[in-house]
Amino acid sequence: MVIEVKNITKNFGGISALKDVSFSINKGEIFGLIGPNGAGKTTMFNMITNIYEPTSGEIIFQGENITGIKPYKITEKGICRTYQNIRLFSQMSTLHNVMVGGHSQSHSGVFSSVFRTKAQRKEEQLLIERSEELLELVGLLEHKDTIAENLAYGQQRRLEIARALASNPSLLLLDEPAAGMNEKETDSLYDLIKTVQSRGITVLIIEHDMPLVMKLCDRITVLNFGEKLAEGTPEEIQNNEAVIEAYLGKEEDEVDA
Amino acid sequence: MLGEILNTYYLQIGSFILINIMLAISVYVPLSSGQLSLGSAGFMGVGAYTSALLTIHFDLPIVIGIIAGALAASALGVIVGIPSLRLSGVYLAIATLGLGEVIRVIFVNWDSLTRGSVGLTGIPQLGREILEFARGVGFEPAMIGIKNNQFVFLSIFLVLLVLVIVILWFVVRQQNSRVGRALSSINLDEKAAESMGINITYYKVISFTQGAFFAGLAGALFAHVIGYISPADFSYHRAVEVLIFTVFGGSEVIIGSVFGAFFLTLMPEVLRFVSEFRYIIYGILLVVLMAVRPQGILDANLLKKIKFKRSKGGIR
Ligand SMILES: Nc1ncnc2c1ncn2[C@@H]1O[C@H](COP(=O)(O)OP(=O)(O)OP(=O)(O)O)[C@@H](O)[C@H]1O
Ligand SMILES: [Mg+2]
Repeated sequence: MVIEVKNITKNFGGISALKDVSFSINKGEIFGLIGPNGAGKTTMFNMITNIYEPTSGEIIFQGENITGIKPYKITEKGICRTYQNIRLFSQMSTLHNVMVGGHSQSHSGVFSSVFRTKAQRKEEQLLIERSEELLELVGLLEHKDTIAENLAYGQQRRLEIARALASNPSLLLLDEPAAGMNEKETDSLYDLIKTVQSRGITVLIIEHDMPLVMKLCDRITVLNFGEKLAEGTPEEIQNNEAVIEAYLGKEEDEVDA
Repeated sequence: MLGEILNTYYLQIGSFILINIMLAISVYVPLSSGQLSLGSAGFMGVGAYTSALLTIHFDLPIVIGIIAGALAASALGVIVGIPSLRLSGVYLAIATLGLGEVIRVIFVNWDSLTRGSVGLTGIPQLGREILEFARGVGFEPAMIGIKNNQFVFLSIFLVLLVLVIVILWFVVRQQNSRVGRALSSINLDEKAAESMGINITYYKVISFTQGAFFAGLAGALFAHVIGYISPADFSYHRAVEVLIFTVFGGSEVIIGSVFGAFFLTLMPEVLRFVSEFRYIIYGILLVVLMAVRPQGILDANLLKKIKFKRSKGGIR
């Protein structure tokens, strides 16, 4: 088991965004987290990366309780994420964004940076090579010197994935990576996530694009109003009455309307 | 020959420009990690008083005094930097401005040590000390055809020039490294930076402290160049003046700070002939600039264009 989310509850003032939610993810899985708007999916990511502390509950990552430790330490331990509303370093080049993602994988401090020690130069070279390799993986190598904010929307989403991968995570959290992508881009996103999986990285994905989710995920948890509604394989979820009622069915109505 | 070219008045203005460049950099460095600090005048004062008192009362060499002054300012930088991590933007600016005023008031009221608002006089002068040292090793200014006081001003100018070059070298190298990318990512999006594994507390304190160090260094040098200091030298007027150097020149790029300090120190001297009008011109210039170019004279885009033109010219 890579991660165990145990009885997480999160209250924001009066509203409870998550109520006693538990699930666990096996190594190498692609695990889906779905549910209607406001169900608490992004809040779950914020719990796992400790952007906000849970009101109660625990998160166990690779056998270690990581509840309440600093976000940057969680990244060092091997969890990295992307954001629903893209949060790139907008004025930096594409390559530098990925290199910042590699921060936890490098060590040079002020002294070695200023004096450009041998170890520092070697590390920097390695970081550039690794970052370029990741840019190639997400198909952005030719744009490596482009300022991030000048990239197209779909490219920005893929850059966020490359940046997260640069931290060499064992668990990658993707928050609606297909949002705003056209069909072709979504297809290549599917391939990308499968490649990530084949590298031994476990993936937890929030996504509203149901065909993609059903095709991609090994297992899925459905949240509704902060509560866990169901969990199972894509087939089980698609045939679950409660899920169809609360989410899948309603979504189709919206499409009809 | 050299004796006819060297104008001590120009050398002195040059020295003030160099000290002001250091001060502008002391604002630029914390700003590169998103921290708007107006503490420069305060840190400058700490550096100046520390070095002045040590050299006056304990007869320490000026070099030791200056290092101690810069370190005292950085120590204060760490002490202040950690609690001010909770603050950002305008709140940090106000808090650090307040800190500067507290320091000034301490200088005014700690009479027995600082001689209050009268200030300290008889601070050992850098130029004189260098002259004595040079004579000690058998060198006389007359040997290169200049007068003693020309030598004094020239040596101060050269020492400051070397220091500014070293500081620029340090900051630029740091910027183009893992540390610099961390600082700049914090500046652009603190939360995202933290999610990428960057210990933002550490890097913010580092850059805040470096700013304090550079301001303390500039203050200590100022004391030994001028020879007398008083609390009024480190008032909030100074803090704002230094901030204007950086903002006017362009706060996105380090060369902006250098240019701002250079231009705004030189301008009132050049405009001396219009006497009282020069500060009106200075004020109008700032207002116009902020209206048409809020990012300052120099920014990353402009530098890129200049570079691009140059490299295109090179190919042809
Ligand atoms: N920082 C916050 N402060 C107050 N309320 C919050 C905060 N973050 C989330 N919430 C609330 O918690 C609930 C769950 O929000 P969350 O963003 O987790 O939903 P979501 O499932 O990601 O929805 P979407 O599909 O729209 O992204 C919402 O009611 C939201 O308003
Ligand atoms: Mg969300």
